[in-house]
Amino acid sequence: MANKIATYICTGCGIGEALNTEALTNVAAKEYKLEIVRTHPFLCGAEGVALIKEDIQTAGVDGVVIAGCSPRVNTDVFNFGDEVLVERVNLREQCIWCHPANDEDTQMLAEDQLRMGIVKVKGMSVPTPYQPEEEVSRTVLVVGGGLAGITAALEVAKAGRKAVIVEKNDALGGWVAQLYKQVSVRPPYTELEDPEIRERIKEAEANPNIKVYKGAQIEKISGQPGLFDAYITQKSGGTATERVGAIILATGAVSYDASKLEHLGFGRSANVITTDGLEEMAKRGKIIRPSDGKEVQSAAFVLCAGSRDPEHLPYCSATCCIDSLKQALYIKRQNPNAAVYVFFKDLRAPGFHEYLYQQAQKEGVIFFRSDNTRIEENGKGLVIHAKDVLVNDNIVAEGLDLVVLATGMVPTAALGEMLVAGAEEEEGKKEGEGFFSPKPDIYFESNILNLEYRQGKELPSLKYGFPDSHFICFPYETRRTGIYAAGTVRAPMDIPTTIRDATGAALKAIQCIELTAKGMAVHPRVWDSSYASFRMEQCTQCKRCTVECPFGAINEDEKANPLYNPTRCRRCATCMGACPQRIISFQNYSVVIIGDMVKAIEVPEEDEEKPRIVVIVCENDAYPALDMVGMNRINLSPWIRIIPLRCLGSMNLVWIADALAKGIDGVLLLGCKHGDDYQCHFVKGSELCTYRLSKIKETLDRLALESDRVRIEQVQISDYNLVPEIIKEFAARIEEVGPNPYKGF
Amino acid sequence: MATKVNPDFTRTLQKFGANTATYCFHCGNCTVVCPLSTDENQFPRRFMRYAQLGMEDKIKNAAEPWLCYFCGDCQRLCPRQANPGEVMMTMRRYLTSLYDWTGLSLKLYTSKTSEWLAVAGLFLATLILVFLVQGGASTEHTELHRFVPRYLLQIGGILLGLGLAGMLALNIRRMHGFIMNGGRQSGYVKIPASVYIKELGTFLYHFLTQNRFSQCPTSRTRYIKHWLLFLGFIVLFGYAGFFLLIEIIKESLHAGIVTGLKVAFVTGSPHLLFPALHPIRLLEYAATIAILYVVIDSLAGRAAKKEPLHQNSHPTDWTFLLLVGGTIVTGLLTHIFRNLDLPLATYYTFALHLSFIVPMFVVGALFTKWAHAIYRPLALYFLKVKETAAKLPQMDLF
Repeated sequence: MANKIATYICTGCGIGEALNTEALTNVAAKEYKLEIVRTHPFLCGAEGVALIKEDIQTAGVDGVVIAGCSPRVNTDVFNFGDEVLVERVNLREQCIWCHPANDEDTQMLAEDQLRMGIVKVKGMSVPTPYQPEEEVSRTVLVVGGGLAGITAALEVAKAGRKAVIVEKNDALGGWVAQLYKQVSVRPPYTELEDPEIRERIKEAEANPNIKVYKGAQIEKISGQPGLFDAYITQKSGGTATERVGAIILATGAVSYDASKLEHLGFGRSANVITTDGLEEMAKRGKIIRPSDGKEVQSAAFVLCAGSRDPEHLPYCSATCCIDSLKQALYIKRQNPNAAVYVFFKDLRAPGFHEYLYQQAQKEGVIFFRSDNTRIEENGKGLVIHAKDVLVNDNIVAEGLDLVVLATGMVPTAALGEMLVAGAEEEEGKKEGEGFFSPKPDIYFESNILNLEYRQGKELPSLKYGFPDSHFICFPYETRRTGIYAAGTVRAPMDIPTTIRDATGAALKAIQCIELTAKGMAVHPRVWDSSYASFRMEQCTQCKRCTVECPFGAINEDEKANPLYNPTRCRRCATCMGACPQRIISFQNYSVVIIGDMVKAIEVPEEDEEKPRIVVIVCENDAYPALDMVGMNRINLSPWIRIIPLRCLGSMNLVWIADALAKGIDGVLLLGCKHGDDYQCHFVKGSELCTYRLSKIKETLDRLALESDRVRIEQVQISDYNLVPEIIKEFAARIEEVGPNPYKGF
Repeated sequence: MATKVNPDFTRTLQKFGANTATYCFHCGNCTVVCPLSTDENQFPRRFMRYAQLGMEDKIKNAAEPWLCYFCGDCQRLCPRQANPGEVMMTMRRYLTSLYDWTGLSLKLYTSKTSEWLAVAGLFLATLILVFLVQGGASTEHTELHRFVPRYLLQIGGILLGLGLAGMLALNIRRMHGFIMNGGRQSGYVKIPASVYIKELGTFLYHFLTQNRFSQCPTSRTRYIKHWLLFLGFIVLFGYAGFFLLIEIIKESLHAGIVTGLKVAFVTGSPHLLFPALHPIRLLEYAATIAILYVVIDSLAGRAAKKEPLHQNSHPTDWTFLLLVGGTIVTGLLTHIFRNLDLPLATYYTFALHLSFIVPMFVVGALFTKWAHAIYRPLALYFLKVKETAAKLPQMDLF
């Protein structure tokens, strides 16, 4: 707890002209009895900062409330070290920039925001970073010894750390090592080269910092980032144990099972083969017609064989186009007079691969943008019927020696039975009607990581079985802290992308270890060294926290007591919001702190006709969106009081009860978009909040309060222009509903 | 019925020039820039696709390649160096060979050796023939009408003209067959002759004005040059035939048909030697200079390869320009030497003049490059006829 709190009110940027700073000073000095309350015309300048620093040094101030600009700016300027708590009261962006100057309501807003800031610092303590008893391991475990795995291990080793590769097969190299040629990544980008993975394998095997287990699999992984224990079973017999700090999942993908593509002739004719089949043939020597061994004179490639097909693989496998262009050139270079056709839906040759496409055209490969491709066989060979989109006519290519199906890729993480995390417990529990249920986590029993996690043995899948987290905001992240997916297991990708991906994941793994050693959270709250504490004596073993934690940070013992793993935790505080007993708290963030902030809001009497609306916002998207409203000088309703949360997942229902009991007329929650293309930094915070709110209706009705008084809306950072309308509409509804009957109680 | 993909035909097209159609990835830039393209008929992109797939029937029966004057905008805008303009040029060569029933055009277009041999052969043959038939001309004074006996020259010219016209008529008949009735399932449809007659103006208009070319926005100067060249040819070659006819008529009226023919074919008419500043003479000089200028300009352009049009010169392009140039230069020299009264120089240059003219007409106009002068306006004419006929009731043409 802060011992001595000081308040500094900046009068710069127009704040002094728009607000009565004297009245603000009185709020801090008289209502909260603060000794040090100062105003300064330019607080972020050297003089202003020196003023604060002097008070810290001479007057022993350890809690600083700065009322001025948004906490999203000048963060570095107002950083006074780990021992001083700083709370920023947003008087600029969210007060004077979006409310009229020298207005009674604006002044009331500023005063309430200041009250909340002071109360917040009062409740906070300086966090003490988590330090495990055992030493944090700096070794990175790489599961899978293909291109991604070897690259990641080499990058880790080059950064001076140790890496352990566990490869299922007896040799390193994976799928790329099976290739005949790969497309050059150097100008003119049209050459076909021997796969360079051979060099990488040698380099990895010779590196003293890389330990390789071949013919080995992970039996079990226990522990948490910095302290993972991996149990590795070897084909040769025996189990090895490795203590590692972070894990890179790089088990790659496998080709889609072509036997499911009978409609494209596979299995019906020996001359219909797959990309892999042609690669193997080219590696052996001549490309021939499988049925009689004659050299191929004409061949057709059918792209998207299974990919982008809702019946098979709904997604694009990213590499089949380029692989087929490359293989078309195999045939053209074996026999320049061979007729080579490529049937595609859309041809994707991104980046420098465009040159390869161009080269294939120059060497006479003919391309068909086609629909309804059918493959048959007659006496003269294979026949492809298709509709040519360009001439809008049906076309036939006859007498083909070979048809190559470009089958897509299936991530190895999607092999095995599909399971729903925690399904066995949820079964039997029947949700009430009208309740919103969060989407359960899905994972596949792929026998890759065998994690000892309460929420499943493998990584949860984002979509189509890929264990990704969020493809835009957080590449390489999975939903398990300290475990990073790289290469084709994460998303379909080609060789250069895989190399970049593996390098990125290696960096992420190293970051994770270093932050863990410092007791800090990993992305997206890297600076945060607070962590959850559980008042276990009040736990009712309801399991809400273990079920709802988006990162599987909380295991359970046999009696269903939560077992918290601090280094797995991302500090979103979803558990805090979930806990009905309110036993979970952080040193600088708790149910009590936010509750006190709600209670600090002054609620005018009913006859003053000044309703109050608490706007609880996600600090990652909705809060900056509100700042942007200010930057664009769009006016907002004067009744709102904004409280930012780490994530809407940490929203505890008790705050709503607090607010309504105090006579506040409405509560508006602004969280991130959820669903398949969610925007939540913590995967499902806003989704869980929506779920919790769906249950509050009953309670409100019991209190004879209209359930319309509480509303949740989804706001993306780019939706700032929609926010004023959302707030306006909600305020209008609150006016319609009328004042809260609990006012004045 | 489905179209068969025919790589053999793609290879056939290749023989007629740079077939870079396989480079095309159908972005449609060429179609955007081409003034010939319409929403219903995307040009030249559609033909690029036909070329890629080897859709022989579609190309065979098409008139569209003839509409293109190769302004080169498509080529400048093509991101793939697929050279649509050049591919259209290649298609025109293919179509010329297709219309020619003798197969000589095919040979001349697809074999460089044949082309040069044919030109050189006709050149030498004419030269030898001239020296075989020459005789009795004075070496004191220029007597050109005696060097090559006048009647032989006139008869030779008429025979050549008739032969060419006859052959061309057969080719046009074939062209008509392809464009008007080719590729249709319903068989031959007879368009009433009245439509043909009604639209004859279209043919004459396009033949004389080449107005279509003026629609190519970036090649106004080329249009002007091309039209000048055309006018030059009309003046010079029209001159010979037109005045011969006038002469015959005049003499026939004056002294009877036999005398008329005699004057025309044996003695020549003194009335035809216009003085140097006579308007007809001046027109002739202007035409000579215009042709010479355009020929030199084109030769220089083809050598410099700057313009898209000039980047892939076919042997037939070179031989045609050289033959026209040769014809004009030797004609001019003949005229100068004759006026200077230098008999031997006049005779030799005239012999060369004739030796250029024959292959120019036979190889150029009948079988290769020059044939476009007639096929282009005809293609426009046939399309117009089709269009008009389609408006008639019960005409299933398209």
